[in-house]
Amino acid sequence: MSALTEIYVDNVTRHLPEDSRPDIAAEITATIDDMVDARLGEDADSSPDHTATVEREVLEELGDPVALSREYSNSPQHLIGPNSYPLYIWALRWVLPIVGLLAVLTNIVTTIAVSPGVQIGEIIGKTAGNTVIALLTAFAAITIIIGLGDRGMDGGASDSLRKRKPGTWTIDDLDRRDSRSKQIRAEAGLGLVFIVALAMVPLIPTSLLYVGHLNGGETFVNPDLGVGWLLGYWAFLALMAAVEVIKFTTASAKPTVAIIGGIVDIAMAVFLTIALLTQPVLHSELTNTGNADFQQIITVIAIWIITVWDQVSTWRIYRRNRR
Amino acid sequence: MNEDEDKALATHEQELRRGTVVFASLVACRRPQYGYSLLTTLTEAGIATEANTLYPLLRRLEKQGLLSAVWNTEQARPRKYYTLTDSGAEVAAALHSHWLELNSSITKLWKDGTP
Repeated sequence: MSALTEIYVDNVTRHLPEDSRPDIAAEITATIDDMVDARLGEDADSSPDHTATVEREVLEELGDPVALSREYSNSPQHLIGPNSYPLYIWALRWVLPIVGLLAVLTNIVTTIAVSPGVQIGEIIGKTAGNTVIALLTAFAAITIIIGLGDRGMDGGASDSLRKRKPGTWTIDDLDRRDSRSKQIRAEAGLGLVFIVALAMVPLIPTSLLYVGHLNGGETFVNPDLGVGWLLGYWAFLALMAAVEVIKFTTASAKPTVAIIGGIVDIAMAVFLTIALLTQPVLHSELTNTGNADFQQIITVIAIWIITVWDQVSTWRIYRRNRR
Repeated sequence: MNEDEDKALATHEQELRRGTVVFASLVACRRPQYGYSLLTTLTEAGIATEANTLYPLLRRLEKQGLLSAVWNTEQARPRKYYTLTDSGAEVAAALHSHWLELNSSITKLWKDGTP
């Protein structure tokens, strides 16, 4: 084997799994030698220069070693493939706005709580910077997770095809989980997780989010808040969870369920608005500044943005599923 | 044909060839073949194939259990010989029957559509 062929073969095999390299290297080398011999034909005494020229021609015919390596590895050459693309877009549309809004809200509340005399410019600067970082992190996490999952899906599909002999497919093998049902279930599952997280909010100590120094590690919510308000809050969340459970179990977005869900969401927003505007809902030590009212108003605005956005999303999904 | 039509034709021919090469390789491997001999066999049969497509394809067919591969080290140059397995023979037979059906269907369609 000439040095040129050796380099070419090394270029092909260096990106392949280690256990397959010797076998593939030997096969490509034998092929190159066969091709060179065939071109040299009967002229066994060909000059070394001519042999080198023919070898070069053969290697050029085999083409880019990286491309040949890709053919051998047969791995997907994309990050997010067609199987995962709808889920990817859906995850971005749902998660990024939530992350963005939570980042804005958290930063505004925390900045005001930590520095009572803070200027509006500083709030905007800190909030914008941290929100961009949060959005980029969420974007990267979603892309990596779904990209890795996409490879799993590709492998699984190929394996199942390989295992299945021709003519053995029956109607029982039909994948009845159509993509819309899967998406509705995924959305309902995410909704349930979000509701559980919201239900935990009154119980979460500030120390869990590394701001325990603000109120001695007590909860974010005012401990003197009437039990009735808390029970009301959890009751509305239970109703919202029931709607999501119905969506999850039926895997369908019936208009009745969507309308009930919308009514519950708006009722919850009204309930929270009344609660926030009539009494101190947040812990007094988090809001004992001159900006306490401002914080409550910001929270109310955020609640209504989430509610309206949720209704618009639900309506769009309903219209899409009708098609 | 203009340039765009040539490009479109080249794309469709490539797609046609891609499926054909798998079938042709299975048929040719009813007798043991090493990579270059298969390449030559296919080319002589009028099925243009590129080496950089054929060799990875043989490996995939081997992984799918349609071909078996054995290194022959008795010759001056070690070569990997591919032979059709029982499962590969079944697939080749099924593909052959589909091929004949397609050929008949296309011929009929062509005749029906010819003014």
